[in-house]
Amino acid sequence: MTFKDKLPVSYLLFTTRGRINRLTYWVAALFIWSTFYVLYNLLNAAFTPAATFIIYPLLFWALFATAAKRLHDTNKSAWWLACLLVPVAGPLWLVWLLGFRKGTIYPNRFGTVPGAAADYYKNDTGALIPHLKTEERLINDVTQLNPVLVAQIVVPQTVEELQQMVRTATRPLSVGGGRFSMGGQTASPQSIHIDMRALNKVLAFSAEQKTITVQAGARWCDIQHYIDPHGLSIKIMQTYANFTVGGALSVNCHGRYIGLGPLILSVRSLNVLLANGDIIQVSPTEKSEIFYACVGCYNAIAIIVNVTLDLEDNIAVKRQQVKMKGHAYKPYFFENVRENKDVIFHNGDIYPPFYKNIRAVSWVRTDEKPTEKTRLMPLAAAYPLERYFMGAFSKNHFGKWRREFIIDPLLYKFKKVHYRNYEAGYDVMELEPASRRQSTYVLQEYFVPVQKFDAFLALMSEIFIRHNVNVINVSIRHAKADSGSLLAWAREEVFAFVVYYKQNTDDAEKGRVAVWTRELIDAALSLDGAYYLPYQPHATSEQFHRAYPRAKELFTLKKELDPTGKFRNVIWDTYYK
Amino acid sequence: MSIFFFKRQLSTIAAGKGLVIPKEWLVTNKNPVTPAKDVRPADQTFLTFPEWFLVFSPEEQANYFKQHTATTFPYMRHTSQIWKSYRIVNKQIKGNFPTNWGYHFMIWVIGVSTTVEYTAKSLYENIVGRLTDTGQPATAEDQFNAKYTQDYVAFIKDLPWYQFDFKSRLKDLWKNTSLSGPHFFRKWERRYMLTTELAVKFIYGKLIGIGTKQVYEVALLNTAVVLDDDSLHYLPRYDKFAAAALELAQQGHSFKEIAGNNSAILLTVWVPADHKTDFANAQTVFIQPITSYPTMKRVAIATPVSALSGVLLELKKAGVQVEHVFDF
Ligand SMILES: Cc1cc2nc3c(=O)[nH]c(=O)nc-3n(C[C@H](O)[C@H](O)[C@H](O)COP(=O)(O)OP(=O)(O)OC[C@H]3O[C@@H](n4cnc5c(N)ncnc54)[C@H](O)[C@@H]3O)c2cc1C
Repeated sequence: MTFKDKLPVSYLLFTTRGRINRLTYWVAALFIWSTFYVLYNLLNAAFTPAATFIIYPLLFWALFATAAKRLHDTNKSAWWLACLLVPVAGPLWLVWLLGFRKGTIYPNRFGTVPGAAADYYKNDTGALIPHLKTEERLINDVTQLNPVLVAQIVVPQTVEELQQMVRTATRPLSVGGGRFSMGGQTASPQSIHIDMRALNKVLAFSAEQKTITVQAGARWCDIQHYIDPHGLSIKIMQTYANFTVGGALSVNCHGRYIGLGPLILSVRSLNVLLANGDIIQVSPTEKSEIFYACVGCYNAIAIIVNVTLDLEDNIAVKRQQVKMKGHAYKPYFFENVRENKDVIFHNGDIYPPFYKNIRAVSWVRTDEKPTEKTRLMPLAAAYPLERYFMGAFSKNHFGKWRREFIIDPLLYKFKKVHYRNYEAGYDVMELEPASRRQSTYVLQEYFVPVQKFDAFLALMSEIFIRHNVNVINVSIRHAKADSGSLLAWAREEVFAFVVYYKQNTDDAEKGRVAVWTRELIDAALSLDGAYYLPYQPHATSEQFHRAYPRAKELFTLKKELDPTGKFRNVIWDTYYK
Repeated sequence: MSIFFFKRQLSTIAAGKGLVIPKEWLVTNKNPVTPAKDVRPADQTFLTFPEWFLVFSPEEQANYFKQHTATTFPYMRHTSQIWKSYRIVNKQIKGNFPTNWGYHFMIWVIGVSTTVEYTAKSLYENIVGRLTDTGQPATAEDQFNAKYTQDYVAFIKDLPWYQFDFKSRLKDLWKNTSLSGPHFFRKWERRYMLTTELAVKFIYGKLIGIGTKQVYEVALLNTAVVLDDDSLHYLPRYDKFAAAALELAQQGHSFKEIAGNNSAILLTVWVPADHKTDFANAQTVFIQPITSYPTMKRVAIATPVSALSGVLLELKKAGVQVEHVFDF
């Protein structure tokens, strides 16, 4: 823990480092002066007027420190305080500068924007167990529901190091990227856990070709920072930018894009490290059988080392929305969204607890000026409002009613024009509750062929209502068919139902969740659909194989390329026999 | 002493609750003999007190600065004296005379600006001035301050403050005040402080000068009085009025009208701190301890115009110093 976290007030008042905004400055000034006033009078009353002199150094230092921080916020060094020596104009100018002038909206040479996080939210580097003498560590994911004890954690700094590690490994290996998957996909008991996040370099970039080649540990947000100045944007990614490219590739993620689908559709080629230590290049045309066993295949046969991805123009998009009945959504989507080249992002939000109404939200190409000051998403250190809303929506029916009929209508009143990068730059931090000890927020996702939309909506609602599931939101996405991943979740054009719900962390609750999850999986399977694998592995083996009929081909390939079962995680431990 | 000390001693003590002056002394003269151009509103004798306090206050400062530096001057007590005395005189005239909006507005303007000035000085002296203070005026700059305040007081007794030549004083400070000498920090700190004060007052004075010309007519510099023999005389206004009035009284005259008024007139006197403050034919309105001169206190008294000469003679006999007669 740093000084700043341990003694935040002392840090604020007595160091000149960093930046503070106007409000903090005024509050600090009020605090300094009122403290001085009280101490002055106390010392004066208790001793002599001369005794008050001892608090002057503190006063001046605190005034100096807070003024320096505020100057930093406007990108000026503390030397500007020398202006005080110019009578009249100097003090007036400083009052304006310190008290009223807005800070710079971007990080400057003195630090990040006050109240902003320095970086996107990250999962830890593995928890130490107190008093444990071995190198064992606990690997957990963002839900904190799936701790796995691994033998050791390694963080390769170079590809050679990684290669060496795979060649010489005497234990099973598990691979982690951002570790935002939610069911132990990044760990296996007593394995060596490889943390890929240090392998995050940009290897090649072409603004003309609109392609970028990065190492698999790079996060979307890192790529966004790199390409934004060139007016480019990632073609397919999730809504949140915390994830690594390797993690996203291995689950074959999707976003809210229209006309696109699984991430695999934007991949030109990969370099993958096989269990025998060889690195090979694969693509839809080059060793395609390996390519289709890597993207979407959860480290089944290889570690993805680097990837070449397609990019798109970073255009401005404007939000449009309309609320409708559930059965009106599919026709609406087919008429207005599916073939509309101007729609960049789209999703539908199904309102719990009755699942009758849907709000369709599209982000459409526009020439209007963005309504945000920054091109990329600014990061906040805390999201109190989001946290409050999430808490309120998940509390009871009344909270959900308030959301549908009061809060959302208000929120959607505002005009929003964002850059494409901005709109794909959210930080998972905004979803983080104060604590995940008692209860936690969890994701699930189901896919059904587009024509089965109404049927699945009806089945899903019935299950949620019968099991009294505390659903916060169900978001509808659309995806075109996959190009051939062996674990493709979009074997044809599908609608995705992303379920965000709250559950307690006790065992009874975990069991209850497993029951209704299996019911939902059955519902999706009955409509020739699938469920998403990055989440809790509640599915039975039979359900897994029905959802992913080509898994057997993958298993066969794994036997061939990874005969000793080096690469492991919950999916292989559970379903690979 | 400053904003930080709250001495229990009151800055201004009213002689009683609300209206203390007999109501029959507070009647507007319906048919003045004085020419209309020389007639001034009857309540102005009271309303000029807060305005004149802004002469008394620098005068006290000038006296104080002969022995002390500005750092220890009780600015906040003076601020409180402005507003408290204003409240008390207001209670005397309220409902008895038509409201003189223009005058009230002027008092608010000067009251607020003085409050701002005194508060700023008090804060500055207690936070910065204190650190370099020499107690007695030891530097050329502190002595400059004493001299300048003295000259300023002499000036504003006859002329509006904003006509004072702050600019030449500023030049004087930088040209004719030695840059060398002991108490290095004090010298430069005072230089900074004085430069700020003179520059701000120069600019503010210019603005007020312009504003005043727009809003108020040029003030008359004399006061018409009608004596008991119905003769009309013109006496100097403001500071020199008291001496001229006393002279007429000593010649055996009394007043029928002053600036067209025969109602109550206000005057202030200085008496020893233990004085009982009862005066024949006059009503005490309030008392103010003189904070920079603790052995004395200021007493504001009111008397009908017809009784003024008697009161002046009585005070003279008792050896009481008349500070000011508020000649409307
Ligand atoms: C708040 C939130 C929102 C989400 N929204 C979406 C969404 O909109 N769309 C969507 O599709 N998904 C979404 N997801 C799921 C998300 O895409 C996956 O969890 C993704 O895997 C996260 O990436 P990661 O870097 O954290 O991967 P990790 O969790 O670290 O890893 C995921 C899997 O990939 C494997 N892996 C990681 N790196 C490599 C590599 N270099 N080589 C081989 N295998 C590797 C791991 O072993 C593991 O099996 C969301 C998840 C969260 C928590």
